[in-house]
Amino acid sequence: MLSRLLIEPFTVSYMQRALLSVVLLSIMGVVCGLHVVFRRLTFLAEALQHTVFPGIVIAFLTGQSLLLGATAAAILTVVMFSLASSKTNADTDSVLAVLVTLFFGLGVVLVSRSGSFQHDLTTLVFGRLLSVSTAELVQTGVVAVVVVAVLIALHKELMLRAFDESGAKSMGYSVVTLDLVLNCLVAAVVVASVRSVGTVLMVAFIVTPALTGRMAARRVGYMLAVGLGCSLVAGWVGLGLSYELSVHRGVNLAAGATVVLLMTVMFLLVAGYQAIRRSYAPEAHNLYAPEAQDSYAPEAR
Amino acid sequence: MSSSQTSADAERIALRFHDATAAYDSDAVIGSINGTVRFGDSVALIGPNGAGKSTLIKAVLGLVPVVAGSIEVLGTTPARARGRVAYVPQADGLDADFPVSALDVVLMGRYRAAGWLRRPGKVDREIAQEALERLGLADRASDRFGVLSGGQRQRVMLARAVAQRAQLLLLDEPFNGVDTTTTEVVLEVLHELRAEGASVVMATHDLSIAHLACNEACLVNRHQFAFGPITSTLTPELLRKTYGGQAVLLAGDSSIVVSG
Repeated sequence: MLSRLLIEPFTVSYMQRALLSVVLLSIMGVVCGLHVVFRRLTFLAEALQHTVFPGIVIAFLTGQSLLLGATAAAILTVVMFSLASSKTNADTDSVLAVLVTLFFGLGVVLVSRSGSFQHDLTTLVFGRLLSVSTAELVQTGVVAVVVVAVLIALHKELMLRAFDESGAKSMGYSVVTLDLVLNCLVAAVVVASVRSVGTVLMVAFIVTPALTGRMAARRVGYMLAVGLGCSLVAGWVGLGLSYELSVHRGVNLAAGATVVLLMTVMFLLVAGYQAIRRSYAPEAHNLYAPEAQDSYAPEAR
Repeated sequence: MSSSQTSADAERIALRFHDATAAYDSDAVIGSINGTVRFGDSVALIGPNGAGKSTLIKAVLGLVPVVAGSIEVLGTTPARARGRVAYVPQADGLDADFPVSALDVVLMGRYRAAGWLRRPGKVDREIAQEALERLGLADRASDRFGVLSGGQRQRVMLARAVAQRAQLLLLDEPFNGVDTTTTEVVLEVLHELRAEGASVVMATHDLSIAHLACNEACLVNRHQFAFGPITSTLTPELLRKTYGGQAVLLAGDSSIVVSG
C-alpha cells in the first residue's frame, strides 16, 4: 500500500518532473521563508501573488513570455514597496494594501477587455504541476540555486538586520539595500512558481513550512531542517496521494493543492502540540516570556 | 575649538561638535551643539523625552544629516568613522523571540571585521567569548538571547560593542530598568574601556548613574543648555532650565522627577 502511494506514482515521467519541481520549490521556499518569517514579511509574499497578475495579463495580451510579465510586475512591486516603506512614514501593511489593490485592479481591467483569457488564467493562479516541462524545471532549478546562494552569502547580514535594524545601520550596512535584496528574492520565488503550483499556492511553500520550523525549533539550522522536512514529506505524500486517488479511485484531487493541504496539516499538528505543551507546562511557557524576576528591580535606582 | 589647535591636541579629541545642528525631519531637530569629547571621557547626554538625544546620537553615527555646523568623529566625518564607533541599543527594544544565542549577538559585533561572504572565524569567536566574560556572562554564551533577563540582555549588547573594539561607544539609556548586578558590571566595564582610551557618550535620565559613569555632561532640549564637567553642569538651575521648569530635584543632585 505504502509503495503504491510513495513509489509507484513516480515511475511515470510527468510525476517525476512534478516531484522534482516540488523539491526545488520546497528548498527555495523554506530557505527564503525563514527570512520572511524573521523579518515579518509574510504579507509581502501574499501581496506578490496578486501583483504579478497584471504583468501576466499584459504579457498574454502582447504575446510575450508570461514569466517575463510576472517578473516585471514583481520587480515593480518590490521596488515600489521598498521605496515607499523606507522613504515615507507609512506602515508596510498599508503600503502593500495600496499596491495590491492597484495592481490587481489593473489586471482586472485588462482581463475584462479580453474574452479568451479565463482558462489560461486558472492555470496561472493554480498552476499545473503535472504538466511541468523539462525547460520549466531547469528555469526553476536556476532560480532555486540563485536564491539559495544569495541567502547563504548574505545570511549573517540579513540576520543582523532582522534582529537589530539600528545596530545594522550603525555598523554601516545599508538596510534599504539588504531589504531590497530579500524582497527581490521573495519575488523571484513567487514568479518561479507561476507555472508549477501557481502564485496562490506558492505562498504556502514560502510561509507554512518555515513557520512550522520556526515554531518547532529554537535554532535556525533546526528550523530549516524541520521546515524542509515538512515541505518535502508533504510534497512526496501529496503527489502520491493525488495520483492514487485520481488515477485508481476516480476522485480528482489537484496535485498542488493536496501538497499544500498536507503542509497545513503538519503545521496544525505542531501548533496544536505547542498549545497543549504550553498549557500543561507553565515552565516551558516561561521560555517565551523571558522577563526574569530581576529585570525591573527597584534597587537598581 | 580654535583654529590654532595643534595636531597633538586633535589626536586626543574623539568627538568635536562645532555649532552642530542635526535634523531627521522637522519633528526631530537638535541644534547649536558645541563641545569636545577627549579619549577616555564619558559624556552623559541628559534631557527630557523628545529633547533630541537619539537624533544627536544618530547624527554622530552618520545616520541623521548634520544640516549646519559640523560633527567630527575620530578625526573624520561621522559616516567615515562608523567602523570605529559602536552603538549600544536598548535591549528591551529587541525581539526576544529571535533565534540567536547570546554569543551569536556578540559575534554580530565582528561581522564588519569578518567582511562580506565570510563567517566570523575562530579569532572572532574568542573575542566574542572574552567580551561576554568581561560582562559576567561567560556561562550564558549558548543560551538563547530571549531567555536572558532584561539586564543580562543589556549586558550582551554592551559585550557586542566591546567585541567591535570601538574607540567611541554610544549608549542609549543603558541603565534603564536593569538589575543591580548589571548596573555594577556595566559601570565597571565602562570605566575599564575608558582607561583603555575609549570614549563614551550615553543618553540617560538617571543623574546618580550619570555621576557614577561620566565625567562630562551635555544638557540638551532641542538645543544645548550646557556642556562641560559634570559637577559644574548638573546643577539644579541648569537642569531646571533644560527641563523647562518641569524638573523637581530630589535628594540634592541624584534624581529627576518630571511632572507633566
